[in-house]
Amino acid sequence: MAEPSIQSRLGLAPGTPPLVSLRGVGKVFPGVIANADVDLDVFPGEIHALLGENGAGKSTLMNILTGIYQPDEGEIIVGGRAVSFASPVDAIAAGIGMVHQHFKLVRAFTVAENIHLGWSETPRRISRAALEARTAELSSRLGLAVNPAARVAELSTGEQQRVEILRVLARKARVLILDEPTAVLTPAEARELFAALRAFVAEGNAVIFISHKLDEVLEIAHRVTILRQGRKVATDWTEACTEKSLAQQMVGREIVLSDMRGTDIGRIGAPVLALEGVSLMSEGVTLLKNVSLELRAGEILGIAGVAGNGQRELTQVMTGLAVPTTGRVWLEGADVTRAGARRIAAQGVGHIPEDRLHAGMAPALSITDNAVLREYAKPPLSLGPLFRPWRATRLAREIAAAAEVMVPSFEMPARNLSGGNQQRLVARREMRIASKVLVAAYPSRGLDVGAINTMMRYFTELRDAGVAVVLVSEELEELLTLADRIAVMFHGEIMGVVPAEGADIEAIGLMMGGRHAA
Amino acid sequence: MISIKSLSRRGFLNMGAAAGAGLLLPRTGLVRPAFAQAPLAPVDVKDAMIAFGHTGPVSDEGWTWAHDQGMKAVEAAFPGIRTSFVESVPYSADATRIFRQFVADGANMVFATSNYGDFLYDVAKRAPEVAFYECDGRTHMDNLGTYYVQHWYPSYVAGIAAGAMSKSGKLGYVASFPVPSVYSGTNAFLMGARTVNPAATVQCIVINSWFDPQAATQAGTALLDNGCDVLFGIMDEAGYLQVAEARGAKAVMWNTDLRRYGPKAYITSIMVDFKPFYVEQVRRRLAGEWTPTYGLLPMGQGVDRDAWGETVPPEVAAKADAARKKMMEEGWSPFVGEIKDSKGNIKVAAGQKMTEEELYHWDWSIEGVSGLDA
Amino acid sequence: MSYRLQRLPVAKPSVAFAARIASVVLALLTAGLVLKLVGMEPLALAGRVLKSTFGSSFGLEDLALLFTPLLYCGLAVAVALRIGAWNIGAEGQFNLGAFAAAGIALFVPGPDWAQLPAMAVTGALAGAAWILVPTLARAYAGVSELITTLLLNFVALLLVYWVSTGPWLDPSGHALATTARLPVSVPEFWGIVHWGLPVAVILAVGLAAVFAFTRWGYEVRIGGSNPGAARYAGMPVRRHLIAVMLLSGAIAGLGGMMEVAGTVGRLQGGISNNYGYLGIMVAVLARAAPLGTIATAFLMATILNGGIILQTQGLTTHTVLALTGLILLYAAIGDEAAKYRIVKLAKGA
Repeated sequence: MAEPSIQSRLGLAPGTPPLVSLRGVGKVFPGVIANADVDLDVFPGEIHALLGENGAGKSTLMNILTGIYQPDEGEIIVGGRAVSFASPVDAIAAGIGMVHQHFKLVRAFTVAENIHLGWSETPRRISRAALEARTAELSSRLGLAVNPAARVAELSTGEQQRVEILRVLARKARVLILDEPTAVLTPAEARELFAALRAFVAEGNAVIFISHKLDEVLEIAHRVTILRQGRKVATDWTEACTEKSLAQQMVGREIVLSDMRGTDIGRIGAPVLALEGVSLMSEGVTLLKNVSLELRAGEILGIAGVAGNGQRELTQVMTGLAVPTTGRVWLEGADVTRAGARRIAAQGVGHIPEDRLHAGMAPALSITDNAVLREYAKPPLSLGPLFRPWRATRLAREIAAAAEVMVPSFEMPARNLSGGNQQRLVARREMRIASKVLVAAYPSRGLDVGAINTMMRYFTELRDAGVAVVLVSEELEELLTLADRIAVMFHGEIMGVVPAEGADIEAIGLMMGGRHAA
Repeated sequence: MISIKSLSRRGFLNMGAAAGAGLLLPRTGLVRPAFAQAPLAPVDVKDAMIAFGHTGPVSDEGWTWAHDQGMKAVEAAFPGIRTSFVESVPYSADATRIFRQFVADGANMVFATSNYGDFLYDVAKRAPEVAFYECDGRTHMDNLGTYYVQHWYPSYVAGIAAGAMSKSGKLGYVASFPVPSVYSGTNAFLMGARTVNPAATVQCIVINSWFDPQAATQAGTALLDNGCDVLFGIMDEAGYLQVAEARGAKAVMWNTDLRRYGPKAYITSIMVDFKPFYVEQVRRRLAGEWTPTYGLLPMGQGVDRDAWGETVPPEVAAKADAARKKMMEEGWSPFVGEIKDSKGNIKVAAGQKMTEEELYHWDWSIEGVSGLDA
Repeated sequence: MSYRLQRLPVAKPSVAFAARIASVVLALLTAGLVLKLVGMEPLALAGRVLKSTFGSSFGLEDLALLFTPLLYCGLAVAVALRIGAWNIGAEGQFNLGAFAAAGIALFVPGPDWAQLPAMAVTGALAGAAWILVPTLARAYAGVSELITTLLLNFVALLLVYWVSTGPWLDPSGHALATTARLPVSVPEFWGIVHWGLPVAVILAVGLAAVFAFTRWGYEVRIGGSNPGAARYAGMPVRRHLIAVMLLSGAIAGLGGMMEVAGTVGRLQGGISNNYGYLGIMVAVLARAAPLGTIATAFLMATILNGGIILQTQGLTTHTVLALTGLILLYAAIGDEAAKYRIVKLAKGA
């Protein structure tokens, strides 16, 4: 039985070579095998998804392909010849360009300046008008609308991404690598991006699309390659895949993304944390507006809304990191409005912050130092003013074991851990102190399905133990699966609180857009 | 940034210093032993080591260069003798380290060509078998002597020529700091000038450095702009001489012969010469005769005017040299009262002759010198 | 087959150590080559330096006296680095400490046993006072301490210069541009080496212990590495910043007191001899670890002492400065190079 060739399924002439191939690529970092024996073919006209858990080796593989790393084994073949890239400059010269998750644009420069920055084809001396004219020409030729004169800092995330893509395409890239491009986009912007990508590959180019979002992969990609623990698990046509099959291959076990809501209504107890008319102003801007919320023991309260509508400030007020301009915060009947982060944490409020690298950890310090951030001041770690490092290491081991994170050395800087493992450590650290409340801001951001699943399991464990959990998320589905009630935020205001069971997604969507609950 | 090191080049001479009477020699003798103590043991020239710690670089064509010439004379006079020197010794604990290192290296005699105070004394105390000299010092120890020059006599001689060659009668002076060397230099210079032009004056600009060619050049330019037409100063380089040359004015220099930097402008220089002094002291040390001396080298024996410049008229030179001859041969001193200070107070009564000690410690300007007294 | 440099996330301690040794050796080889070119005998000179430094109590005493202020200043800079602050002003605080201690010794009469501790305390307080304004400006207004501490150095230097040549000038007239000899001095325990040295070493060990074994040390570590995380954990970041910076100034001030009352004996301009600036290098080479500072201060003292010996062997100060700079440059390159490894590429590009 002759299976149709890849070329024919992609509508290519028989024997068309791939634009780029990886053959047996391997990469070892001290103590870690990042990639081993990975093969990958990307053909003209193809959108090829790269799927894998955090730490599965997707980024390393793409960094090899774009010349940031050099492979320890194997080879890269472009146009039938083995090549070696010393730097991303070599890679882009060979037609391979990447748009990173965190944009590498100069915010103070205009779009035109960013496009031309560090580009060999930029004329040595050129006027601003000419620079912008060149950019406008590129923009229309490549079908990516940008305003050449605008400063990058003034652009929306979606527009910035377009500039990044234009920057790569202008350098005549034939293979465009996108690292989780939709994570920062609104659904409408994502649709525009997909249209642009389809147009790009229709001209005989290719896209490598890194993502965690299974639905997206199925929607946009022709084929998908799944990595697990640095190795390739499979390359499949997406028509033959389902979200479930992909998730299974990715994590290597069956995952149930099902209703995790508690069924025992009686478990919900007395109010633990309450906000009463809380407003927060900073430099004349209203960040929180008259927020009143009540959180009960044993429930999960979801906070929905488009990011940047006051969720961060809400978590800060709840955990004592910010003092409201007006209003009160009560913890089990005591006024903790001005108690400060330390006392609130000591009274049993854990906090998984939105940006763990900047708020929840000191990435340059050891894993031990980071693991004990909440308990260093208490016995047995401290006796009076004395701190006992050996007890700290013991506690760090416990937390790492509970978080199921393999740590080669506890003296290693925490930044050497993968994002998922950092998040797990922080989550476990906070769960240990969250005897009453856990405030979790976007805990699944940047995590793969398997890690999200683990994280959600943590929250249900806490809930079942009678802890009140605040879960801030932009994934409605996640909130609907997990939360008992969902509060929707818009411009610092709570638009309404609805029970998750039988919630009307349409109505929540309207509240996220600024409509008050009926 | 002001560096203490440069301040101490010739040290701060303090008025009222407890430099005992009779310490300073009459100009007849070169040196004399201070105390009748046992001299240091003789040293064979093959084993001898003589060390010099300088305040500036030996290439400065000025003060340090002159001392370095002294070291070369010692080397020539005692073939096979070992010498060592360190340039730009800072006025800090590092100076102690350097002098200690000299001793550790086996030095039998150490000359500090500027004032290093305790940094030198601490080492001298711990090395009683080594002879030490401090230029312009005032501390006496069994193994520590001092030496300096009576530069006010040649300054007076140069002043006569300057007064005769100045058309405006306004003389300029580029000063380092208001220290006695500067007071005695300016006062002597003006007193000399007034013998030929009673209306002459000296205007000083203090640049707070011994070595700062740019500041010296600027000061020289400013003085000429103010109407001065002869410049004098106490710099270690030729900055203001070049200004004078370019502007058609005249200049008197210090330390060494700098005429090649301004042959037309060059009148003379207050030349210092430590060669005979060093050779003599090393000889005494080697011979086992050395006990400390505390002298000021007189004119003709360590300090003198340089040969006159090519534009100095013979009759001017003759007039100035007549005064020089009188001082050297008859022991005549021009520093006799009545002398008034810049505020008009009589500081030296009529007929009274200033002692060498008073000249050495001069810290006020005479009437006609401006820019030094507050 | 081609080779390429690859950056590692962290340098292995063994590699870093080897790189540092290699860098010193390379620097010495380069220096030797230069000396050979200018007609000196590098091996004989090296032998002379080693013999003069380590071969006699004279050399060792000098080394110890250089090491002491370098250790105080190195510790001062290192301590500030722990909370993420750059104390470029150790030079000024050192001067102020010397100034205040000299003031006590000269103008506040008292028995020796009371005066030395009073001088030490005053010196430390003066050092702390000198960094107070930069500290508060950083803590409350976010003003970079880099600039403010640096600028205050000039003020301190000129202040000391002024008092020692003006109001406090030795009234006996025997000294030049210095105050009178202080009536008390830090006792010597070995040759000219005074108790400032053991006190500095004890201080270094004590600081290392405080940073490793106290809650405060842990909080400073977190606050210095990521103030956001420290605030998140409810640590009083600002209070720690102020305390650590004042401590840094106090250590430099104590160093100044030891220098004026132990080594120099009089207050004079330039008493700091650039120790404050050299302390920055000492601290950076030690990566702000107090115990490491002992080693790097020793290395720096050896280099400086070697420089003095070389000067008496006929090298100019400029050559010696160039050689000193060369060794430090190599050390810095070695540190950075330890973060890389050489990899073989399977196929040539």
